Amino acid sequence: MNLTLLGINHRTAPVDVREKMNIPEERLAEAVADLVHREGIREGMILSTCNRVEVTACAGDEIDAESVIRRFLADHHHCDLGNFTQFFYRLRQEEVVKHLFRVASSLDSMIVGEPQILGQLRQAYATARTVGAMNGTLNDVVNQALAVAKRVRRETALGSAAVSVSYAAVELAKKIFGGLQGKTIFIVGAGKMSELAAKHLLRSGAASILVANRTYDRAQELAAAFHGTPVPFENLFERMAEADIVISSTGSSKAIITRPQVEKLLSARKNRPIFFVDIAVPRDVDPAINALDNVFLYDIDDLGHVVDANKKQREREAVWAEEIIQTEVQRTLKRLASREVVPTIVALEERLNQIRAAEMERYQGRLAGMTPEQREAVEGLTRGMMNKILHGPITELKNGAGEPESATLVKLISRIFGLAD
Amino acid sequence: MHDAFVWMALSFYALGILLIVPSVVRRRPSLSPASLGALGAGLATHAAALAFEAMRIGRLPVSDVRSALSFYAFLVTLAFFFVYLRYRIVSLGLFMLPLVFLLTLISALHPEASFDSSSFRGGWLLVHIGSIFLGYTALFLTFVAAVMYLIQERELKSKQPRGFYYRLPSLKVCEELYYRSLLLGLPFLSIGILTGFVWASRTWKGPWEFDPKILASIFTWLIYLVLFSNRVSGGWRGRRAAYFAILGFAAILVTFVGASMLSGEHGYIPKLREIP
Repeated sequence: MNLTLLGINHRTAPVDVREKMNIPEERLAEAVADLVHREGIREGMILSTCNRVEVTACAGDEIDAESVIRRFLADHHHCDLGNFTQFFYRLRQEEVVKHLFRVASSLDSMIVGEPQILGQLRQAYATARTVGAMNGTLNDVVNQALAVAKRVRRETALGSAAVSVSYAAVELAKKIFGGLQGKTIFIVGAGKMSELAAKHLLRSGAASILVANRTYDRAQELAAAFHGTPVPFENLFERMAEADIVISSTGSSKAIITRPQVEKLLSARKNRPIFFVDIAVPRDVDPAINALDNVFLYDIDDLGHVVDANKKQREREAVWAEEIIQTEVQRTLKRLASREVVPTIVALEERLNQIRAAEMERYQGRLAGMTPEQREAVEGLTRGMMNKILHGPITELKNGAGEPESATLVKLISRIFGLAD
Repeated sequence: MHDAFVWMALSFYALGILLIVPSVVRRRPSLSPASLGALGAGLATHAAALAFEAMRIGRLPVSDVRSALSFYAFLVTLAFFFVYLRYRIVSLGLFMLPLVFLLTLISALHPEASFDSSSFRGGWLLVHIGSIFLGYTALFLTFVAAVMYLIQERELKSKQPRGFYYRLPSLKVCEELYYRSLLLGLPFLSIGILTGFVWASRTWKGPWEFDPKILASIFTWLIYLVLFSNRVSGGWRGRRAAYFAILGFAAILVTFVGASMLSGEHGYIPKLREIP
């Protein structure tokens, strides 16, 4: 096993360097093919996203894969990599395994737990496969990374809580209404933020949208964009009873939605819950209404608090995830290591079998007079001896796999039994 | 045989409840097969215990406090399974099952045989007791849903989400569970009470209307009736309805346990005094 990873990411390199090193999707297949055709490189994969560019290679034992990858990147980008050395990190062997597991599980992402990276990794893997750059150890490692990511997703809540303000609004709406199916959203005061929140809510299944704005033209414009209904500002409270979620962001200098109005709304709605998201500063909604039964009010700071709490939750979940990854790395390394000693075990068995066959051959003449049963007994006897002799070295090889002395052991056994390398 | 099975059920319940804890803490999307298995085994052994007792006395074992609690615990566990399979609320078990454990423990610690009384035979009484128990089970669910609603509502109003925010279902689900169980519980409670009246008027002598347990159950019934009619008319939702559901269940407890101590005709007196 000779794994090497050379890469940059959002922590080690500024965006202009990442841009320069980026390998666009349409050229990825060609690039991976180029990489694995270089001397000594058996397998390769390139993961290139806006936050990271990472080249992973599995090379022959004596190959300095790092310089091969450096040369490959320099050739590919037609530049001297010397200027960029400080941005790159180089990982070897088990570091590579662990890193790929963490990347796949979104623990290395800028926003920990974001789900896109898994798809990007899957894409990079598929591309490498199609050009035949995945056929051994690296193939196993990446496959395992994808499986580990699934396990992390299943066993932790790493990606479940919203970490942006507009998603926090969607999450809160779901905590109140269950799903958003069939819910009506009322945008009061058209603005960038309210537009974004409405977009998220609609994508999560909200059914219809009402838009009111001081200037009616703007309301019409925004309503058209969302296939919604514009509402004249004078009719604000007449239509508000229809809304389950009100997103307010007018430029008004004092509260426009007050407690008596909301109390009236509630009786019109037969106390069905209503959720106010007040993203205006100064605020549009009187904070006192939060005390009303079945009314929920979040202003921009409240949403920020939710995001903070969610981030803390993610950090906690990330600790669980790291534990899973630690055990999975150990398990994978153990498996890969046991594969390393397989050729020696096979050679050993072949060697002893050869000796046995040669000796049987040599005594062919003297054994000629035996009955078939006796012949069988001699076969069994020699085979039994062979297996007993093999048992010790094979057990040692298997147990030693993955331990530091494994390579020495392999060499020693090869020498003692005269195995060809 | 009965006692051995009750103790087995109790151990399985304890194991099942303990195994739910890590799933809740780590916010798993569903309960682990181990905890479901333990609870299922608890339910099965509990059913066996009840079946042995029923065969021994020749009727449903509900006529003394010990058996009644045990039977009720069994129904609540059964209800837990139904609700869990429908809603997949992982934390639900921690709200419902401690009661099961407690009730089973009480009945395991009092292994004296339930007494037999000829007055407990007969169809009317079976319908009476059966309906009351089903009603109580559903209304316990209403109570649990109300408690979950209040906790989640508090989390949402506080705007500082803590542990419960992530682990309890949405208000919508609490509300739905609350309403459906009320819708199921109230008719059973009504049938139970009405059949009780019919039976009492036929069997008992004297002013049975003033039996404390009967008065308490009428009061309980009124609470739920008010709750139900206000909910249907659209007035009551959310916090207020949840508080009332909790009040209703408190009234059930008073009826079930408290009034039994004073009641002349509901037969629990001699047994209850032995509970420390």
